[in-house]
Amino acid sequence: MSKPNYEHYIDIVTKRYFDGVDNYNMEQVLDCFHPDAVLTEVTSMTVHKGRDEGIKTMFKGLFEGFNHIWHGNFVHTADIESEAICSQFTVVITPDGGEELRYENCNRFYMRDGKFTEVFVYMSGDNLLR
Amino acid sequence: MQYQSSLSREALTELALHKYFANVDAKNLDAVLDCFHDNAMLTVQTSFVVHDSRDSIRRMFVDFMAAYKTIIHRDFTCTVDEKNGRIAASFVAELEDHDGNVTLLHNTNFWRIREDKFQEVYVYMSGENPLV
Repeated sequence: MSKPNYEHYIDIVTKRYFDGVDNYNMEQVLDCFHPDAVLTEVTSMTVHKGRDEGIKTMFKGLFEGFNHIWHGNFVHTADIESEAICSQFTVVITPDGGEELRYENCNRFYMRDGKFTEVFVYMSGDNLLR
Repeated sequence: MQYQSSLSREALTELALHKYFANVDAKNLDAVLDCFHDNAMLTVQTSFVVHDSRDSIRRMFVDFMAAYKTIIHRDFTCTVDEKNGRIAASFVAELEDHDGNVTLLHNTNFWRIREDKFQEVYVYMSGENPLV
């Protein structure tokens, strides 16, 4: 498979991955990852291994614990040559029965054949991706 | 903000790794500051600390360079967006203070370049912020 174009990197992050997260669409979210993908929350060194194991379990916990999730204000650094995109963004999220929280985060996405192999998350506050 | 950059892919990497980080590690303050525009902004996003001019950035680096006997940035993985004048890099920061205590951080920087210098720099850290 040839390397995807620039638009693919922006679109998989915003129109597929974060759209799926914000709309609680587990299938759409997981479809962005390879089966052997790894997601690491760097600020707390929490590692989730496997699309259908650790990553799915993490998103199940996120979807059950929060009744509103929004990602926006994106600025991307996308690199076709190294098959990677690093994205800065705002997260507005409301825990069940709690007050709205705002984060200024970044993710680094590394890809193979247009899907995520490794994702690294930095959060500006407490880790929500447990 | 979208800026117009005059730098190639290779020049963006040269600016971030060699003109900037190599001079931070060598404590060459003037060479470090020469990478920034006068009205540049450096934000440590994981702790909401903002340095909003080159003078403020200078003060931060003076304290940072004095606080550590050795400063090493290594193991870079760069992501370069030449078309938009942006570069991001993940790296290890190895800091040894004057008592021999070593701090290891796994950080990510984002640089937005206007013309040929930094206009905005964002730092995301894995641990406590030493850039205060």
